[in-house]
Amino acid sequence: MFDRDVWQEIFNTIKTNKLRTFLTGFSVGWAIFILVMLLASVNGMQNGFMGQFNDDATNTIFIRPGTTSKAYGGFEAGRRIQLKNEDLEYVRQSFSDDVEYISARYYANVTARYKSETGSYNVQATHPDHQAIEKTLIVSGRYFNEADLVNKAKVVVIGRKVAEDLFKKEDPLGKFVELNNLSFRIIGVFTDDGDDNAERGIYAPVSTYQRIYGNTNDINVIALTYNPTYDLAKALEFSGKLEDIMKRRHRIDPEDQAGLYVWNYAEAFDNISSFTAVLRGIGIGVGFLILVAGIVGIGNIMVFTIKERTKEIGVRKALGARPRQIINLVLLESIFITTLSGFIGLIFAWVILAAVGPMFQTPAFSNPSVNASTVITATIILIVAGVLAGLIPAMKAANVKPIVALSDK
Amino acid sequence: MIEIKDLHKSYKMGSNSLHVLKGINFKVEDGELVAIMGSSGSGKSTLLNILGMLDGADSGEYTLDEVPIKNLSETKAAQYRNKFLGFVFQSFNLINYKSALENVALPLYYQKVPRKERQEKAMQYLDKVGLKPWAHHLPSELSGGQKQRVAIARAMAAEPKVLLADEPTGALDSKTSYEVMDLIQQINDEGNTILVVTHEEDIAHMCKRIVHLKDGVIVEDKKIEQVRAGQYV
Repeated sequence: MFDRDVWQEIFNTIKTNKLRTFLTGFSVGWAIFILVMLLASVNGMQNGFMGQFNDDATNTIFIRPGTTSKAYGGFEAGRRIQLKNEDLEYVRQSFSDDVEYISARYYANVTARYKSETGSYNVQATHPDHQAIEKTLIVSGRYFNEADLVNKAKVVVIGRKVAEDLFKKEDPLGKFVELNNLSFRIIGVFTDDGDDNAERGIYAPVSTYQRIYGNTNDINVIALTYNPTYDLAKALEFSGKLEDIMKRRHRIDPEDQAGLYVWNYAEAFDNISSFTAVLRGIGIGVGFLILVAGIVGIGNIMVFTIKERTKEIGVRKALGARPRQIINLVLLESIFITTLSGFIGLIFAWVILAAVGPMFQTPAFSNPSVNASTVITATIILIVAGVLAGLIPAMKAANVKPIVALSDK
Repeated sequence: MIEIKDLHKSYKMGSNSLHVLKGINFKVEDGELVAIMGSSGSGKSTLLNILGMLDGADSGEYTLDEVPIKNLSETKAAQYRNKFLGFVFQSFNLINYKSALENVALPLYYQKVPRKERQEKAMQYLDKVGLKPWAHHLPSELSGGQKQRVAIARAMAAEPKVLLADEPTGALDSKTSYEVMDLIQQINDEGNTILVVTHEEDIAHMCKRIVHLKDGVIVEDKKIEQVRAGQYV
C-alpha cells in the first residue's frame, strides 16, 4: 500500500488527467464542504439557543401553585393551592444539600410616582437569594440583604428603565419613590442582559410586601437553584422528588398535573438538546445524500477511466500483474482523490467559518464552528467513500481479459 | 520446452459453436525459433493465446517447462505468465505515460524485484536493444521500430522461458521489420526459445522452423534453412 511505485503510478494518472481528476474531486470536496457547513450551522443554532438561557441561572427550578383537577384526600377537585412561607422553609430545610439558593416571589402591581412622573410597574417581592437565582446585575447601589428582610425595611431595587422613566437624569440612589402611595427608599438599580422588559421591574423584600398586604404569609412562586454539580439526570430526579413532596404536603393527587407545577430549566435544556440533535441529524442526512452524489460521480468517472485503460490493464496482466494488484491500484487512486479533495473542501469550510463565524451573533445563531470530532468523522467517511466509489470499477478492472484488451480489432 | 497434445478450442457465437482448434499436437525444444503461419481464421492467434495462458483450452494437454498448465486461477496464471513468458505484440502495447525504461522495468516490478535492481536491469536490456540513449523518452517520442525494440526488451527483462511474438513486424515497414527480426535472431542465438506468429513469408523464413496452420489443424511442420536478417539491415 505504501509502495513508492504504486504512488508514482497514481500521480502519473492524475497528472495526465488533470481536468478529469479536478472534476471528480470537486463533487466530493463540495459535498464535504456542505456537510461541514450544515453541521457548523446546527452548532451555531445550538450556541444561539443556549446563549438565550445563559443570562438566567441554568440550574433553576420554579414551583408554582395551581388549581387541582382531581379529587384527592377528601378534597374536591377545583381547590386553589396557596404556597406559604412555611413551604419555603420546609424545602430549604429538607433539601439543604440539594438547594443552592432559594427565594419566594410575591407579585404586586403598583403605580409608582416620583415628583410629577408616574408609571405602572410589576413588583417582585423576594428574598435576597433571588439576586443569584435571576442573576440580577446591580449597576449602582446594592441588592437588599437579610437585615432588610428581617426589619421588613421599605427599600426597593429598581430596573434601569424604571429609573430612566421616573428619574430622567437624576440619580435615583437614596431617593424615595411612592409605590401605591407608600414611600420606599431606592437602594439599588439593576440591569438585565436578557431583555428590556425585565428592566421595567422592581424588587422589594418579600417580608415588607407581605406585611403591607395584610400581614399575609402567602407567596406566589418558590424559585430555587439546585446544587450546580448535578448533571441533567440528577437534576431531573431532584425536581421529581420536589414535586412529589410538595404535592403530598398540599394533598394533591400525585397524578394531578394542574395542582402544582414544578418547572425545571434542565428540562428545557433537555428539549433544546434533543431539538438540535434532530437538526444535526437532518444536517448529517442531507450532507450524506450530497456526498452519495459525489461518490457516484467518482465511481462513474473511475468506470470511465477503467474503460479507457482497458488495454493498459490487459498489458499489465500479460506482464504478470495479479488481479489484487490491479484492484489495489484503482482503489488507492479512488481513495486518494476522494480524501484529498474532501480535505480541501474541509479546509475551505473551516477557513470560511473561522473568518465569518464570529460575525454571527444573533440570538438564534452564534459562532458556527466545527470541532475535532467532525473532522475525524469526515476523514473516515471520505476513506470509506473512496473505497465504495472505487470498488466496482476496481473489480471491473480486475476482470479485464487480457485477450480481449489486447486484440487489435 | 513446450508440449501440447490434442488441443481443442471452440468459441460460442450465440447459438453456434465455432471450432477453432481441432486437435493440435506440437512440440517445441529449447532454443528453437518457430514461425507459426496461417491465414486469418486459421487459429494461430488462438493457439498463441492458449500458449500465453491468456486463454484456456477446452481439452488437451499443455505442458510448459514440465509444468502442466491446467485450470489456473487468475492469480496463478498471472504468476506463470510473469515467470515463464514474454510477450511482444503487433501494436507494441507500451504504456504511453511511462518512459521506455519504466516500461521495461514493469514485469520486474510484478516480480517484486527491488527498485534499484529493477532500474539497472531494465537499463541493461534497453542497452541490448540499442536504446539506452532513449531510456527516458516516452513511447510517443519513439519510432515504430524503436517501440517494438522497447517491447522486446520488456519481454526479455523478466528472463522468460519462452518469448511469444504475435505479428511483431505487422505494423512496421520492411526495413524496420528486418531490424526487429535481426534482434529476435540475436536473442535466439543466445539460446532463448521464441515463437513468432506471422503471415509474412519472408519473416517466417528468418526462423528455423515453420508450422503451417489451416482451419484449426497443423498442415505442415518443417525445419528450414534460416535466412539471416542481418544481411538486409
